Amino acid sequence: MDKCEVAIVIPVYNEDKVVAKVISELIERYPSYTIIVVDDASKDESCKRSCIQGVFLLKHSINLGQGAALQTGIDFAKERGCGYIVTFDSDGQHNPEDIKPFIDRIKKGDVDIVLGSRFLGKSENMPTIKRYFLKLSRFFTWVTTGIWLTDSHNGFRAINIEKFPQFEIRQNRMSHASEIIGIIKDLKMKYVEMPCHIRYTEYSLNKGQSMWNSINIVIDYFVGNLIK
Amino acid sequence: MIFIKIFLIAVLTAIFIIFAFSSRLKIFQKLSVILGYLTLFFFILFPHYSDKIAQLFSIGTGKDLILYITVSLMSLISIIIYVGMKNNALAITKIVRNDAIKNAKKCK
Repeated sequence: MDKCEVAIVIPVYNEDKVVAKVISELIERYPSYTIIVVDDASKDESCKRSCIQGVFLLKHSINLGQGAALQTGIDFAKERGCGYIVTFDSDGQHNPEDIKPFIDRIKKGDVDIVLGSRFLGKSENMPTIKRYFLKLSRFFTWVTTGIWLTDSHNGFRAINIEKFPQFEIRQNRMSHASEIIGIIKDLKMKYVEMPCHIRYTEYSLNKGQSMWNSINIVIDYFVGNLIK
Repeated sequence: MIFIKIFLIAVLTAIFIIFAFSSRLKIFQKLSVILGYLTLFFFILFPHYSDKIAQLFSIGTGKDLILYITVSLMSLISIIIYVGMKNNALAITKIVRNDAIKNAKKCK
């Protein structure tokens, strides 16, 4: 088995227009990192287009949600003995250049998880309503976890999984972002926020989830905690 | 009036049979179902007693009491069903995840 120091976990669902470009950029920039793509039962050609040389491809037989896809990738990375995990979106919003500073930071050893923040970094074309919504969601996160973050729903993170193998996402769908903050609190992980660059393209904005979905996220979060 | 009472008792008895004889229910749950059945059976036959019980709790009439109990029970049942669905989803997730990891491939 190849040595795996850093794994980049990419959950994919119906992203066939951009996923190959996203993965190719990552391979080009980080040839020594293990790239794990988890196709969450896409209905389009995403699975086929994700299969680029060197990538580990995992496929869910039914659609479970982004949280579940991330955890599948994390479990696989743990099986391969990876020390650090970076979670990266497949829609092209994240910038591969941001990975290196995140990994450099977590390798110093004084933090266990590095969380990306679009409010510390540069975000292109962020819709105003989304900006306010994200600011509201960080208040929700603070109320439920006691942790104040500038951006509580950013999918870009680096985790020291070697130190915290018990890190486990149980919320299958989008409420996993809030759950991760709860995990940080429960496991007493040392965390830091770092700026990350988010590119809101017409494509990603059209694909993005509806604000109304936030009601489902809140319900999922509370019920998830209820049956934990 | 008699017809509606017979109809309600028939529906109630059918629901009772389904729940009380379900092997999935634990003894405490079965006792709750039996108690609920007998209570409702009593109120269908003697509706005026619901007024007396309602007055004990200072809740207007028996109809109000039954409405409150029904809403509370329905809410509880909804939560139980939702939690059950979530637990099933967790079990399915585990199966799908194990399958995905087992069949992981390195692209060439």
